[in-house]
Amino acid sequence: MVEIKKMALDYLDFLRDESRSIGEAESISFPVTEEDVCDILSKLSLNKTPVTIQGGRTGLAAGAVPHGGHVLNLTKMNRITGLYTNSDDSGHLRYILQVQPGVVLSQMRKDLEDKNISTTGWSQEAIETLESLYAGPEHFFPTDPTEISATVGGMVACNASGARTYYYGPIRPHVFGIRMVLANGDIISLKRGEVFAQGQSLTLTTLKNRTISVSLPSYQMPHVKNASGYFAAPDIDAIDLIIGSDGTLGVITQIDLELLPLPQVIWGVSCFFTEETQALDFTVLVRNEITHAAALEFFDDHALDILRSQKEKGGLFASLPAIDPLAHCCVYVDLHCNSEEEAYSDLYHIGELLSSCGASEHNTWAARTALDKEAQRFFRHAVPESVNMLIDERRQTNPSITKLGSDMSVPNDKLYAVIELYRSTLKEAGLESAAWGHIGNNHLHVNVLPNNMDDYALGKKLFASWAATVTSMGGAVSAEHGVGKLKRDFLITMYGEDHIREMIRTKLAFDPQGLLARGNLFSEAWLDEEVAK
Amino acid sequence: MSGLVVDVSKCRGCGRCVRACASQGIVIQQRLAQVTPNCIACGMCIDACPFDALSIVKDAVDTKSDANGVWVFAQYDSGALAAVTLELLGKARELADDSNTSLTALLAIDSEQECNEIAQKLIAHGADRVLICVDNRFANHTTNVFAAWICDMVNEYSPAILLIGATNFGRELAPCVAAQLRTGLTADCTVLAMDKETGLLHQTRPAFGGNLMATIMCPNHRPQMSTVRPGIFPPSEYCESRTGEIIHTKLRDSIEPNVTLLEKLPDDAGDSLLDDDTLVVVGRGIGSQKNLPLMQKFADLIHAGLGCSRPLVESGWLEYKHQVGQTGLAVAPKVLISIGVSGAIQHLAGIGSAETIIAINPDASAPIHSVATYSIKNDALEVVKELVEQLQP
Amino acid sequence: MRTLVCIKAVPSSTEVKMDPVTNTIIRDGKQSVVNPFDQAALEEAICIKEQLGGSIIVLSMGIPATEGLLRDCLSRGADRGILLSDRAFAGADTLATSYALSCALEQLRTANEFPSLIICGKMAVDGDTAQIGPELATTLGIPSIVNVEKVLAVSEEEITVRRITDLGREIVSCKLPALITVTKDIRIPRMPSIAGVRFGETGPVEVFGAQGVGADATRCGLNGSPTQVVRSFTPERTHEAITIEGTSSEQAAQLIDVLGGFGL
Repeated sequence: MVEIKKMALDYLDFLRDESRSIGEAESISFPVTEEDVCDILSKLSLNKTPVTIQGGRTGLAAGAVPHGGHVLNLTKMNRITGLYTNSDDSGHLRYILQVQPGVVLSQMRKDLEDKNISTTGWSQEAIETLESLYAGPEHFFPTDPTEISATVGGMVACNASGARTYYYGPIRPHVFGIRMVLANGDIISLKRGEVFAQGQSLTLTTLKNRTISVSLPSYQMPHVKNASGYFAAPDIDAIDLIIGSDGTLGVITQIDLELLPLPQVIWGVSCFFTEETQALDFTVLVRNEITHAAALEFFDDHALDILRSQKEKGGLFASLPAIDPLAHCCVYVDLHCNSEEEAYSDLYHIGELLSSCGASEHNTWAARTALDKEAQRFFRHAVPESVNMLIDERRQTNPSITKLGSDMSVPNDKLYAVIELYRSTLKEAGLESAAWGHIGNNHLHVNVLPNNMDDYALGKKLFASWAATVTSMGGAVSAEHGVGKLKRDFLITMYGEDHIREMIRTKLAFDPQGLLARGNLFSEAWLDEEVAK
Repeated sequence: MSGLVVDVSKCRGCGRCVRACASQGIVIQQRLAQVTPNCIACGMCIDACPFDALSIVKDAVDTKSDANGVWVFAQYDSGALAAVTLELLGKARELADDSNTSLTALLAIDSEQECNEIAQKLIAHGADRVLICVDNRFANHTTNVFAAWICDMVNEYSPAILLIGATNFGRELAPCVAAQLRTGLTADCTVLAMDKETGLLHQTRPAFGGNLMATIMCPNHRPQMSTVRPGIFPPSEYCESRTGEIIHTKLRDSIEPNVTLLEKLPDDAGDSLLDDDTLVVVGRGIGSQKNLPLMQKFADLIHAGLGCSRPLVESGWLEYKHQVGQTGLAVAPKVLISIGVSGAIQHLAGIGSAETIIAINPDASAPIHSVATYSIKNDALEVVKELVEQLQP
Repeated sequence: MRTLVCIKAVPSSTEVKMDPVTNTIIRDGKQSVVNPFDQAALEEAICIKEQLGGSIIVLSMGIPATEGLLRDCLSRGADRGILLSDRAFAGADTLATSYALSCALEQLRTANEFPSLIICGKMAVDGDTAQIGPELATTLGIPSIVNVEKVLAVSEEEITVRRITDLGREIVSCKLPALITVTKDIRIPRMPSIAGVRFGETGPVEVFGAQGVGADATRCGLNGSPTQVVRSFTPERTHEAITIEGTSSEQAAQLIDVLGGFGL
């Protein structure tokens, strides 16, 4: 039995995540097996102890920051436990990897790439399947959040995305099975395609043969990239309700992940523009004409300027490729092609699209070699990193400042409108900002860079107003970071109180005492009101 | 025709050669290996073959003369012999004794005053003979001047072996000499031994970033030339009573330096890690650049130099001069404390000469633990925090 | 100004897997790339061309597939590629390689196209010999400066550079034509543009055999190589470490005792 330890100085790190907010807790545990999780939860539920579930603590919405009670840290559940196959819709063999929630994405990728997955404790059948996977064409796991030290459990809990979500979607469609321990220690095991809701109502059976009747929230989800609240629609697959539920329904203990054959040719092109509208025009053209584009990423003038000045300063970023001083903004296109011919044809087509929107194929970086691709990756990741460094500098004089980053998406036809919204309101407020992100999904991270607490307050107000406008455009208030504890108010703006209370009732079907992940998605006050009913 | 040959009586078509080949130079057809026009005769497949079915044949040439003697180039920088010179003398003495021949040191120097003293020192460290050339054209380490003199000496005396330290200067000078003499040169050797049967020098060096060691011979050309990595061999003993011959020679008048020194810049690197008896070497496992000051503090507390693995230099956390490993410095401290370094094989190549390695890394399977004398399998940052706390007065 | 950059194809990674039976490297069709040092050399040449005008030739000796890498160089800013590819070149050590390269340069000399400046990477990441540059310069009879970390000034007649030496750094100059070898840090290689990629596909790359460059067959390839690889093997490391157990504070205390044993 795994020990429930008193919170001590050694565990201070476990009170925070990448959102940089800090919580408090009385105890912590590091389970290794599903059994451990069951034991701990059944014990804690007797005293009605709240439980916050943690993975890699890389989240930006404070979903893993505890608010009292117990911290259940899953990072020691970090084994890849098996591999099996099934067939996809067109009858092709599909490999499904089974992992524990604490598996770190970067490690999983590396093990896959190096063909070095540990098979200790695997069944003979799974080992043979792994051998056949290794013998065949290379496979990969497509979800690629910027932070690759994320755990798979955390990624499923927030329905993680990344640049390639443009083509491959978020993690949701790649999850084929989940085992989840409920607050009382009982277990639900779901495979994709096996259990569906009947309209709004869903009936699940636990391993102990208990029946759970769930009523799904009745709101209509926006038709955009979305990580805001429960996935709910008539007749949905039960597994989809669990994915993206921010830890509020149970503790995920096993995940079955689809692996895809690695495309034969992966190239990247960074295209530089002298005006922002050219970049928007280009985005629309690529969306319509380049079918193998797997990601479409944008970096605005402020983002490029920050990079230029960080490169100038030397140190970490001195080895960045030099950015043309005339470049105003950049759109990066990731090409996933089946052959070199296809890739060349797409590349040249991109060149033509550039001239048709007033840019030039001379002002591009076409990365075809591993080194060039690494340079591009470094460039893209240096943007958020250098903004964080800038904020850290400012925090030295004003420690209460943090970065304010938006995470909203809108439908395709609202791209120009939402950019205009950001530009005009930022200018009006006189705030310093830098924007980058997933323009293919009309999903930019607009970051306000406050110089003082007034800026910070102004920025927060601005974001709240964007949440309302984005909702009215048919968008989502959180497209990929999840709601966690920081964006609950936006979620109210998006769905309204009645729907939020529906969500709470959905949660209570799984966790009647309201113990798990308290404060995520909805306020503890509303939660307790609903528990009391 | 020379090239790679398959012995069909031995080949079983296992395909290991194909997997070892980087240039599609060999394929399996009808269960037999076949050499393709892509073969670059690199020899990788020969070692990969478990059945001894592959070999490289070469048209016979014989240009070797009755060359004799082991020579060492004595590198003299700003008033002192480079440390590697004494290391070379020790090894060369052994090779000379093994092949019953004499040891000659070459000293090109611009200072009349010191030349005899240095020559005596070379003799005391094992040389039987010192060829000296005093000429102010040697002042600025211009390679072509040194190469011209060495080539003249080789042509006059015909040595069998010529060893040069694999310093920056040595690695520039040696190829110039080898190309003029049209003889073979093996770079950056870490093992040298005489083959008893053939009397040839076996020169062993790392390649592929230290993943592979290759033993190389130069059978038909003289001298057999190697550059030898500094810090590998122990310096030879000083023996005051040794005697030897000193021969003064001349540099041809026609030789002029072809590179002009404009300015010497002080080495901002200050002291080199190579001089430290104790080293703290840090890797990615220290988590963040923010933790570097803590590591420096620990190094200061135990009077150690601070080195790092390659990823840290690549991430810009530390300058290149701190890099330890195959592509950085090969260090040989008495004690090396490795903190948060996983121990990629390239890195291990650079620390192999450390007497004692203490590894701190939470990953029990990290390769660094396999070369360590002491292992601490715990979070590197935690342990260093403790160390600093306990060491601080 | 005309510059020439020497290019070597190297495996994309020197981190390699070992065959447990024969204990040799498995390369399993790992892709070849341009030696990173040579990429930096090419970038330096491109910067010189941007400053002084002129043209860049990239020169390599290798298997026919190496043409693809020369085309990659064209896409980044080289104007013309020359590939020496012939079975007669196979098995070349550094002496035979520098001889073959020198033959191509002698051909350029005959055609009155000899470059003012030859730039090589300081070394290749697979062989680590750092010998080709100085051997080539010696064979051509031109000055060489190795370990260049910055080109300070260059004209048709002369080049001034900062180089790394055993005792620090020096600023040196020499008359052109000359050969320099450069460190990997001298420049951050640029990426090709789409327009560059188009040129890379169609630009001029000539392929010559030994006869085509007038090379003496006895000085090429295996026959022209004084050195022979007798044996290659992987370095062995067997070892039992003493594990220091306990909490981090206990471990630190024990380690301090160990360090004390070394007089620290």
